Amino acid sequence: MTSIPRSDKLFFYALLPFAGIVLSIFILLLKILVENSLPIFIREGLGFITSNIWRPSETNSRIEYYGILSPIVGTFYTSLIALILALPASIALTVFVNEYVPHRFKILIVNLIEVMAGLPTVLYGLWGAFIFAPLLKDYVMVPLNNYFWFIPIFSCKPTTPSTMFTASVILAIMVTPFITSVIREAYEAIPLSYREAALGIGTTKYEYVKIMLTMIKPAILAAVLLGFGRVAGETIAVSMTIGNSFSLSMCLFEPGYTISSLIANQFGNAGFYHYMTYALYGAGFILLIIGLTLNSIGLYILVRWRKSLEET
Amino acid sequence: MKYIVDIKCLSVYIKGKKILECIDLKIPRNSIFTIMGPSGSGKSTLLRVINRLIDLIPYAKVEGKVYVFGMNIYNVDPYILRKQIGMVFQTPNPFPHLSIYDNVALGAKLNGVARNKDELDKIVEWALRKAMLWDEVKDRLREPPSKLSGGQRQRLCLARALAIKPKLLLLDEPTANIDPVNTRKIEETLTSLKNEMTIVMVTHSPHQAARISDYIAFLYMGKLIEWGPSSQILIRPRSKLTEKFLRGEI
Amino acid sequence: MKRLDRRIIMDRFFKYLVIVISLIALMPLFYIITSILVHGGSTVLKAGISFLYEPPPSPLSTNVGGIGPSLLGTILLMTITIIIGLPLAFFTAVLAVEYPNSIIAKFVGILTRSFIEIPTILIGVLVYTIMVLPMGRFSAIAGAIALALVSLPYMYTHIENALASIPWIYREAAYGLGLTKPKALFHIFMGIARRGIVAGILIGLAKASGETAPLLFTIGGSRHSYFQGLDKPIDAIPLLIYEFAQTPYNIYHEVAWGAALILLLIYLGVFATLRLLVKKVEL
Repeated sequence: MTSIPRSDKLFFYALLPFAGIVLSIFILLLKILVENSLPIFIREGLGFITSNIWRPSETNSRIEYYGILSPIVGTFYTSLIALILALPASIALTVFVNEYVPHRFKILIVNLIEVMAGLPTVLYGLWGAFIFAPLLKDYVMVPLNNYFWFIPIFSCKPTTPSTMFTASVILAIMVTPFITSVIREAYEAIPLSYREAALGIGTTKYEYVKIMLTMIKPAILAAVLLGFGRVAGETIAVSMTIGNSFSLSMCLFEPGYTISSLIANQFGNAGFYHYMTYALYGAGFILLIIGLTLNSIGLYILVRWRKSLEET
Repeated sequence: MKYIVDIKCLSVYIKGKKILECIDLKIPRNSIFTIMGPSGSGKSTLLRVINRLIDLIPYAKVEGKVYVFGMNIYNVDPYILRKQIGMVFQTPNPFPHLSIYDNVALGAKLNGVARNKDELDKIVEWALRKAMLWDEVKDRLREPPSKLSGGQRQRLCLARALAIKPKLLLLDEPTANIDPVNTRKIEETLTSLKNEMTIVMVTHSPHQAARISDYIAFLYMGKLIEWGPSSQILIRPRSKLTEKFLRGEI
Repeated sequence: MKRLDRRIIMDRFFKYLVIVISLIALMPLFYIITSILVHGGSTVLKAGISFLYEPPPSPLSTNVGGIGPSLLGTILLMTITIIIGLPLAFFTAVLAVEYPNSIIAKFVGILTRSFIEIPTILIGVLVYTIMVLPMGRFSAIAGAIALALVSLPYMYTHIENALASIPWIYREAAYGLGLTKPKALFHIFMGIARRGIVAGILIGLAKASGETAPLLFTIGGSRHSYFQGLDKPIDAIPLLIYEFAQTPYNIYHEVAWGAALILLLIYLGVFATLRLLVKKVEL
């Protein structure tokens, strides 16, 4: 019985072109991405992601071969280390802001965290490359290698400040504010009744915080997954500090590559070779898939957790 | 056309839940028609069917026929319908980003009631005078409504509704959140407006209904228990439920 | 009694642990800002006000020069990005809020948000293929489109939230006056949600001023000549910092630090304005 009024329909049609543009941009991007990465998947198959050979040739395209195992491993490796470092920091910041900071300073700290979250990444990169990396080498990497050389990840002598370790630490610094904001939102969303219940049984603050953190475990997991998506896609600060070289080593003190820093470094010259552009597109495609998968899982967990909170 | 609103077996469902059940009602021209009932009786929903604001609510299903100004409301453009119907809501809701003047002027301007600045000024003054607010705000028309008291805000909303020169005025518990002085002013305004338009008011207070109504309908749990001239409803109600409500027992 | 002691000691220990880790986590921010103030400050002091309008020096020059073309480029890119991105973000947000039941609106809403997941470097690469290759050269417009795609989901999210959180009582009041959807939107809803909408624009600006990766393969880093046209190469401060930092020349490093100071000021300016407008910022 209810029909949509004519003016509503007209307005809807007037808005559609904008949606259409967004839709067509998306389809266009997807088409370009698939079109340009298919050739490398077809040519090299699984070898593209399982081998660590980077063999461009300007003269003979038949001997060109591109395997991105090293950047893939590098991406996961640096992201993993970054998250291991960022997670305790994020949890601590959440607890700090909500439990220990006097109320009037809370806004200040939250602002600082947000400033950090949005700071242009090239500034992290600049500072990382010129100021932080040399310090990290002299005061962290060298000592770690001296005393813990028997642990594989610290086993090689750091020869340059630009290493996977450096990139990981910088990524950790950059992603901490983001993970904190996700965890903090969840922490603050815990209903008052639970808080009172926890405090009512005579807990110390430590015990209370432990109960609260257990309650938001799924949100913490989601924050880590979402953070992973961010870290894996980060380009500029990484490419300025990771050393940009194909290595497949357990040792963190060697230069390395991530998929995004590989693209940043190689795409400018890729046009000189027959297959390199395809290879880099293929790498980008894989990066996108990794990011989308982790993000979707993260969001799914977060949404489910929020729902469960509403239901109880 | 004796009846401004003619409702024939109107039922409303929201998310599958029955809110109104086969309501039959005729609202005579130039009268104050009060729909009273306890909270949850469906009276606000009934009001929102008349100007099709019910369309805003997702999952609302309307059955039956409703004629306003002799037209089936589902055969006309709701925007054209609403231009002829003013509405005042339970919570005073003047637009916070507009000045007192613009709050009243906006509808008149956009609906083409006033064609130039002079006409607009006149309509704004007329509406504010009708709402008995003019003397209180005439020197600060450019100020935001946040500077007004709750009761003044509600009268501003009344002026806003009047400025579109409606033939029908709907009021959804307009005095529920307002002090007695402002309530009296609004009731006075309504009584004075009767000759110019038809007024339909929803209230949960039988006393308010008694003070100003020409006709009263009593709604209970989505059903129309009875309706008629107010003297008859107030003095000789046919239903035990109405009696109980009038005594304040439900 | 002993058990109680242990609980209290644990509590104390935990408290100090949290405070120490938190301070460590926040320290880089101060360190970065101090570094930029010290190094960038010394560059800018050396170059004087002309740092803002002179072109950069040659590698072996002793004169610092400036970042004139890059600063102008960044300002232009910010402007064009908003001109391209804002209508898209705004009207798709309107579509999503005003027609929540339409499948297209829902789908495009999800799509717009999902742009956030595309690594920004990939957006640069894609725009390179779509625009730079066919045009045969890098261009300001290609960079602006890449930046618009990066900022789109942020702007969309903020504007959509702003419009969706307009209280129901004002929606009813607007439609109760007989206003059509566009009239209600332009005369009432936009006014009520103006802070959120401006916040969306500012976040777009923050992204457009600070992003580097989308520009790597789109604008061409033309940093010695001022604006030549939308279809011609242009430069941006982040790109200058990125490229100069990776050269071996000290003078370029100095310029990069000076440029970092300017970029930091632009960013903090945008952020402070944002903060005055809205309580919650998601960058």
